[in-house]
Amino acid sequence: MTTTSEAISPPVINRPNSTSVGTIVWLGSEVMFFAGLFAMYFSLKAGAPDLWANDAQILNVPFALINTLILVSSSFTAQFGVFAAERLQPRRTGASPAKWGMIEWFFLTYILGGIFVAGQIWEYAMLVSEGITLSSNSYGSAFYITTGFHAMHVTGGLVAFLLIIGRAYAAKNFGHKEATSAIVVSYYWHFVDVVWIGLFVVVYILK
Amino acid sequence: MRSNIGLQMVMAAYLAVATVGYVIVSYLVFGYVEPIGTIVIGFSVLLSLLIAFFLYSGLSKDSELPEDRLDGEIADDSGEVGFFSPWSWWPLALGLACAMLFLSLAVGWWVTFIAVPLAIVAVLGFVYEYSRGAHAH
Repeated sequence: MTTTSEAISPPVINRPNSTSVGTIVWLGSEVMFFAGLFAMYFSLKAGAPDLWANDAQILNVPFALINTLILVSSSFTAQFGVFAAERLQPRRTGASPAKWGMIEWFFLTYILGGIFVAGQIWEYAMLVSEGITLSSNSYGSAFYITTGFHAMHVTGGLVAFLLIIGRAYAAKNFGHKEATSAIVVSYYWHFVDVVWIGLFVVVYILK
Repeated sequence: MRSNIGLQMVMAAYLAVATVGYVIVSYLVFGYVEPIGTIVIGFSVLLSLLIAFFLYSGLSKDSELPEDRLDGEIADDSGEVGFFSPWSWWPLALGLACAMLFLSLAVGWWVTFIAVPLAIVAVLGFVYEYSRGAHAH
């Protein structure tokens, strides 16, 4: 009789976590969203090369490079937060970063991301004062729409980090549910970081 | 999971060939490499590779799914897929808030002053639904 019951019981299926897969598929759609923005940028550039040669000189590349490094470093701090979340450790057990929990690393990530957005706003203010606005010409439109949509994604990621930190505070027992949401927010953050590296190369290096 | 990765890789390979073909054909037809189609078809290679790489990185030895087996049946795929809230009202509230945000484009910006607070409440309610009250843990 034991053989029959073994035959009836269904095999255990080890599926990848549906939250993670859903996030990655959604990030795939975000890839295509930014593909549209890159396509817009390059087609406007192809239509007005003289405008690009003239207006792109105003960009403050060293400042943008520092801002880029800040955003890239925030991806590393987010990943250390994920390692802490995978250890199911929400809070620090000591002052040194080696003993930090997810909350401390995500707060640091939040601060770095906040500096990046603040730097973007400062850069926009400088450019507007020099006459490049969203409606000034096609270069202004392309610059603000591509970097602006990216900055909105970063801002959305910052809100997501706050919500995840709040969840860690709300949980008496920090479990796999909390860890999963922390991991998928880090996927999003890494994605936004990679998009910025692409934008930085296209907008600031390939002027 | 191997079959899912294989499908994504086939799509990536096809789209990579399509990108090269598009570059060549657009150059022959227009006299220059047309940027919009090149970038968008090229990025769809990344779209497939992203999902394939994610599934591959999560691949473990015991991750054989029913669709990987030649004798697999549709019924073998049944069972728990993930956690989905069975009765939550928050997605509806969030959807209404988003609908009002889009409505403000047609009606007037003042609608956002109602929609944004509603969206904030709905997001917080959605995210913290299983962190508080009877579900606090």
